Amino acid sequence: MKLNKSLFSSSEFIVFLGLLALGAFFAFTSPVFLTKFNLLNILLQSSIQGIIAIGMTFVILTAGIDLSVGSVVALSGVIMALMLHAGVPVWAVILLNLLFGVAIGVFHGFSITKIGMAPFIVTLATMAMARGLTMVFSDGKTIFDFPASFEFFGAGTIGPISVAVIIFLLYAFVAEVLLRSTVLGRNIYAVGSNPKAAALSGIRTTWVLYFVYIVSGVSCAIAGLVLTGRLGAAMPTAATGYELDAIAAVIIGGASLMGGKGTIIGTIIGVLLIGVINNGMNLLNVPPFWQSFLKGAVIFLAVMIDSLKNRQTEV
Amino acid sequence: MKSSPILETRNLTKVFPGVVALDDVSLELFPGEVLGLVGENGAGKSTLMKLVGGVYAPTKGQIIYDGYEVQFRSPKDALDAGISIVYQELNLIPHLSVAENIFINRLPRKGSFVDWGRLYAETRKILSESGMEGIDPRAIVAELPIGVKQSVEIAKALSYDSRVILFDEPTSSLTGPEIENLFSVIRSLQQRDIGIIYVSHHLDEIFEITNRIHVLRDGKTVAVMPTSEATEEIVVSKMVGRDIKNIYYKGSHVPSEVVLEAKGITDHYLKSVDFKVRRSEVVGVYGLLGSGRTELLKALIGARPLQDGEIKLHGHSVRFGHPHDAIKNGLIYSSEDRKGENLFFGNPIWKNITYLAIQVGRFVKLGFTQQQEERRAAGEYAKKLNVKAPSLDVDVYHLSGGNQQKVCLAKALINDPDVILLDEPTRGIDVGAKLEIYRLIADLADQGKAVVFVSSELPEIIGCADRVYTMSEGRITAELLGDDINEENVLKYCLQVGAAEEATL
Repeated sequence: MKLNKSLFSSSEFIVFLGLLALGAFFAFTSPVFLTKFNLLNILLQSSIQGIIAIGMTFVILTAGIDLSVGSVVALSGVIMALMLHAGVPVWAVILLNLLFGVAIGVFHGFSITKIGMAPFIVTLATMAMARGLTMVFSDGKTIFDFPASFEFFGAGTIGPISVAVIIFLLYAFVAEVLLRSTVLGRNIYAVGSNPKAAALSGIRTTWVLYFVYIVSGVSCAIAGLVLTGRLGAAMPTAATGYELDAIAAVIIGGASLMGGKGTIIGTIIGVLLIGVINNGMNLLNVPPFWQSFLKGAVIFLAVMIDSLKNRQTEV
Repeated sequence: MKSSPILETRNLTKVFPGVVALDDVSLELFPGEVLGLVGENGAGKSTLMKLVGGVYAPTKGQIIYDGYEVQFRSPKDALDAGISIVYQELNLIPHLSVAENIFINRLPRKGSFVDWGRLYAETRKILSESGMEGIDPRAIVAELPIGVKQSVEIAKALSYDSRVILFDEPTSSLTGPEIENLFSVIRSLQQRDIGIIYVSHHLDEIFEITNRIHVLRDGKTVAVMPTSEATEEIVVSKMVGRDIKNIYYKGSHVPSEVVLEAKGITDHYLKSVDFKVRRSEVVGVYGLLGSGRTELLKALIGARPLQDGEIKLHGHSVRFGHPHDAIKNGLIYSSEDRKGENLFFGNPIWKNITYLAIQVGRFVKLGFTQQQEERRAAGEYAKKLNVKAPSLDVDVYHLSGGNQQKVCLAKALINDPDVILLDEPTRGIDVGAKLEIYRLIADLADQGKAVVFVSSELPEIIGCADRVYTMSEGRITAELLGDDINEENVLKYCLQVGAAEEATL
């Protein structure tokens, strides 16, 4: 029985090794992979997924799930686009967009804690509703033409680094500190690990659940801002399927769907792993159908290794 | 005349990486005998059971069953040979009927359909052979009381023509009458020359039902004796490895002013409960499972909404909307259900100990936890309570029941509460840890704390409490003091239904 969870046996470290192995493989097979331009590109492409996955980590830590993220990102983009076209100033658009994220979280929190609905079902419903509203508001069409100060958040750069990457890394840092060192963060783990014990230990579990769904909603709003800015367009079909990549990244990063286990660092490694696979396969000209298969296979392998390691031998 | 043993282990040894769980244990079980297997947690009882039951393979040694050496590769091998284990946590499928559960995997068939007629007939036969005629083969298991479920589990064992049945803590969730019922079933199994190994922490049960007692300590056999020659002190001394004269301990406190008082508290389970506890007092609450004792404690801390009644803390009327408020006011509840309601498995010892404290701002600055301080304080309490673990970073999941319970107590005590509500703090833990907890309870009262001690073990309530409430069906049925706290009284009142109305007539 090995008791001390050392750095080298942690889930994060094993996935990190996997990430390095994949990186080495692509570095050998493609001359472009290790270039500075390509590496920054991977980071940029991972940043939107990363922001969403950070929110998803909070939710999954409480043994919940948020299937609505992709649709909410798209809806956020369309709402901002319409506000911009209606002449609302950029700062107000961003603020209202964040409030929209909070509202989505409050709706989920209320449905789950007060009505007692299962997170899977509530967020599945939101996923369909939000996507529907995206179509209704945009009339199914892509919306273009935004002020440069708005697009800055997705397309701008500070020095050699994209603003999107900076937002992602800052957000990750705040999330990591919150989860690791604050009472609220500890309570999120507690609620995921044992909700009854949490309540009897004086943790207001309802507040905690509201909080994590709000974090997820706000993450989508931030991701919507970055994505819309980067594309210079709000597309009603944007971010389709992002929920699955986000969940995959969180789980690859060592989190448990049963709650109580997982870290932001792990999630980021998970996001980068998916980003590297996508990028590497493109560089190697892998046909798209095979890309989907291979990505799935890597996700399966990553989670399998973790499950085998944690398989409890005791009956 | 003694026949030959039905089951025998010779020099049985099981080594796990880093731990010798069972060390050279030789044991004999004769047909028609009940052998009590006792020892502290970690003494090797479960390992022995699992070796005999085919869950583990031995590292060394032999298992002789019915005169032949056997090597089971799986629990199914053991079961087919005629050795079955009735586990503490039952392995029944809740939504199937009694008959389906007993014959699961082996349902009698007519062509490719289940032969329901034969299924029910055979089930009825098995049930009646062991004095369980009262159970309806068609009843859905989920709807049965826990005691009956256990009988179904036993019937399932019998349906395999088992000649050896191992019981692992069978009474841990049974009520008094259910235990009596279990004992009469075990006696009827004895009549049929079935050999029984009975594992329990409850020595009173060991003394009542077994013929011989086999004591394990640290994986080794330390004593084997006929039950008729054993006493509680002898067995406990062997188990813990030192002489024990007084199991219970009352301390030297004298109760003073009332700290917590409840008047007429009522919810959908509790019926107008009056309750109080004083400074420097240990109040025992005794009642069977479902008597309302846990509900009472939870109502006091605001974990259950009250419909009526008043709670006073230090003379001031309070109403807690959430356990958080109770904790803030120095009132702490420690749940009996360590795994389900108290500890955070997957988290290290130190975080478990401080979880409750950080909710009320201890070890916290501006919302950030001061983890150095947390660790230091957690370490201090872990040491005070004698938590045995290689480090504070160990996941509580890996600790024994007794050590888990000590972590629960550390978690409650680190906040220095005025009132401590302990719900079955000794449930399922070994004797050594129990003794420490009895002493701790007395010490807390000596320090001026108000301690409420809920238990379903009569001797410990009688041995530890200054005052005792008995509960039944959501009511307090009696308040006992001094010499009135005795077995006869406590049992009489806790079984008494509607005693409260009688008293007011």
